[in-house]
Amino acid sequence: MIYAILRRFGQMLFVMFGISVIVFLIFFATPGADPAARIAGRNASPEVLAAVRHSFGFDQPLYVQYTRMMEKIFVTGDLTSFVNRGWKVVPAVMDSIPVTLSLVFGAAVLWVVVSIIIGIVAAATRDSWLDKLLMALGLLGISMPVYWLGEVMNLITQSRYHDSWAFSWVPPLGYKNFSDDPRGWFLTLVIPWITLAILYIGIYGRVLRAAIIESMQEDYIRTARAKGLSETRILFRHALRTSLIAFVTLFGLDFGALVGGSALLTEVVFGLHGIGKLTYDALQNLDLPMIMATVMYASMFVVIANAVVDFVYILLDPRLRAS
Amino acid sequence: MKKLLLAASAAALLAGSWLAPAHAEYLKEHRGGTIRLLARSAAGTLDPHINYTDQGWQMYQPIYDGLVAFRKAEGVEGFSVVPDLAEALPTVSNDGKTFTFKLRKGIKFSNGQDLGVKDVVASFQRIFKVSGPTSGTFYAGIVGADKCLADTKSCTLEGGVVADEAAGTITLNLTKPDAEILYKLALPHAVILPADTPAEDMGSKPIPSTGPYMISAFDPNKGMTVSRNPNFKQWSEEAQPDGYPDVVQYDFGLSEEAAVTAIQNGEADWMFDALPSDRLGELGSKSMDQLHISPLSAWWYAPLNTRMAPFDNEKARQAVAYAVDRNTLVKLFGGKVLASPVCQVLPPDFPGHEDYCPFTKNPGAKWSAPDVDKAKQLVEESGTKGQKVTIIVEDTAISRSIGVYLQSVLTNIGYVADVKPISSNLQFTYIQNTNNKVQMSVTQWYKDYPAASDFLNILFSCASYREGSDASINISGFCDKDIDAQMQKALDLGVTDQKAADKLWAAIDKQVTDKAPAVGLFTPKRLDFVSKRIGNFKFNPQFNWIITQSWVQ
Repeated sequence: MIYAILRRFGQMLFVMFGISVIVFLIFFATPGADPAARIAGRNASPEVLAAVRHSFGFDQPLYVQYTRMMEKIFVTGDLTSFVNRGWKVVPAVMDSIPVTLSLVFGAAVLWVVVSIIIGIVAAATRDSWLDKLLMALGLLGISMPVYWLGEVMNLITQSRYHDSWAFSWVPPLGYKNFSDDPRGWFLTLVIPWITLAILYIGIYGRVLRAAIIESMQEDYIRTARAKGLSETRILFRHALRTSLIAFVTLFGLDFGALVGGSALLTEVVFGLHGIGKLTYDALQNLDLPMIMATVMYASMFVVIANAVVDFVYILLDPRLRAS
Repeated sequence: MKKLLLAASAAALLAGSWLAPAHAEYLKEHRGGTIRLLARSAAGTLDPHINYTDQGWQMYQPIYDGLVAFRKAEGVEGFSVVPDLAEALPTVSNDGKTFTFKLRKGIKFSNGQDLGVKDVVASFQRIFKVSGPTSGTFYAGIVGADKCLADTKSCTLEGGVVADEAAGTITLNLTKPDAEILYKLALPHAVILPADTPAEDMGSKPIPSTGPYMISAFDPNKGMTVSRNPNFKQWSEEAQPDGYPDVVQYDFGLSEEAAVTAIQNGEADWMFDALPSDRLGELGSKSMDQLHISPLSAWWYAPLNTRMAPFDNEKARQAVAYAVDRNTLVKLFGGKVLASPVCQVLPPDFPGHEDYCPFTKNPGAKWSAPDVDKAKQLVEESGTKGQKVTIIVEDTAISRSIGVYLQSVLTNIGYVADVKPISSNLQFTYIQNTNNKVQMSVTQWYKDYPAASDFLNILFSCASYREGSDASINISGFCDKDIDAQMQKALDLGVTDQKAADKLWAAIDKQVTDKAPAVGLFTPKRLDFVSKRIGNFKFNPQFNWIITQSWVQ
């Protein structure tokens, strides 16, 4: 067990090292990326440019700059942004985690519950009009890009029908802290939750339906039928349970990636200042320290989420437990 | 009238507190409330000695003070310099090289400290100690600045900025006369901060201020709260008037689309970023009374690299200037309301501006229509026909469309043209560096202060060209010894006779325009969209909307 955890940890370090080197090199290989002139300001004199270059350490070899940056992220934690100078990036990432977690967690609850219902109903009523309708809706959900859907949601709830009874409860865009105003926290997040969940409801509903139908043809289902179990019991206790493996794998990866910053577009559209928004702004400004911090954080999360998925497998599938 | 006001405010100062009747009455009636501003992102560091953005400079206006300030007024008035922390404009001696300021008494910083001459000296040293972006240009003429630039840490400006504690005066010595020094001192880079402010970029930490407001909270990811400075007592209405709102809440993060909607819903009062062009029609028809259009002293232009083929040939450059249809560009930018055609360097209503346009059908004062035949003929004469030209533009919708249009123009007159959009954050430094071999690009220049040299001398002097550097603002690489000498003459002349100097600048503007090192595209205007409750909207030509002179109740 300890060995497994250590191995995971080793993998994580390796992945993070690789990614950080790549990010660092891409940044400095980009033509015109040298941040000194942008930091120094327009029409800076050569003396000022040299002073800025020196104070930020851009005159040192790349490996020294890399080591200093890693030290500042992981050891001293005082790495500051190149754009909003003096802004410490590690605390900024920490401050943004609750926002992203609130968004992704709520959306995850929504999409897991709804997609399980859809998957089961569709599988149980296979090839009926209801099945076809649900699958068509699922495809529609998958096909709508989240930034477009988000803007349309905003257009409806914030602009065109903002004054109608249906959407007058929708608060202005932005995030409210749960501790300050739980009701405001919930209300501001309802629309973003739905927007983010729709894509995943479509994917997960379809995946679950296919998995249930596939497992319904397995030998152990025939055995269960032969034992004389009811169809409902077979569906819920036997077919659904093994079908959830694919579901959990997907969920682990998606949840990890979303918490790591992939909810970027949703956060940008709804003005939620989470990890994704930080990453987006950093990329827009080419702010290397912030890009580095958010990428490190994201890769850490994806690796951790994968590890958690592996453990959940064991809980779900008795066959894995034996081996 | 102006003199009267000045005398009156001086008298008022003696009396203690006094307000112009109108302002005082309005203050009673409308004082209070919170004004909510929106921007996509923060403007970078909070440090006024370093921040070099329109967004930052606008917000500093009711917060920080220099020895002098631009008058907080609309129209041309707003371009004039008035005494701020100094009692009066400085007395000039030593052939225009020595300026003596007398500091006002009784002013306190927002942290309760008294303002004294030592703060002024320390602030001037700090400009160099923090490697302020303009320390090597605007303030390099102060005695001792060369030493400070060479070694920032040990900067003393000895002999350059001298304080007399007893008399409460500060003497500023320059190495040579500078007609623009008062403008430079009125910029946020020269505001007075407490002497004990650390000599490093303060980043996200607010620095105590002298104005009617202070920054009370800041998070670059969320927003900035600006509240009243409890120690403020109005000393000069024209330099630093008391404001109406109690709090200015500046929130960062909403997209432009969302910000427009928020203002329409009355959830916010104003947005910094440009209005998204797909919403203009809707706003124009539904909320015309909430829109304010103001002229900007700015220039959208296409620098042509005078050191690389084909634009090392003057005729080839003029050909492009003749061929570009400014009306099309104006349309691309949002129509006549938002921009006007231009073919010279100095923007309209700017010192030294005299209408001039050689590159049009019927050359004269104004641009009328492109002359494509003339352009084709010039390309033939130059012998550059068929050469390849790559245009580097910013990766924004407007710049890309301008780039594609220019590509079609170049193709039409006989070049093989290509457009490359690159990230907006990189483009401006990328096109400056000669190592990137940029032939043509599209960019903008906004004035720092109202002087012709801020366009002509900065953008087209030999000294602004620095080979292989990202900071080489003379993007065209234009260097004409004769024009350079005239610019120097105009700068010197400005010390004694600004009117004559502006005449000379007008002539220089014409000469530079004739040589076509860059093609003027259009003069943009500023469109401000405010909420219904905003009253008393005033637009200052130097720092844009005067935020705290508007009321919300």
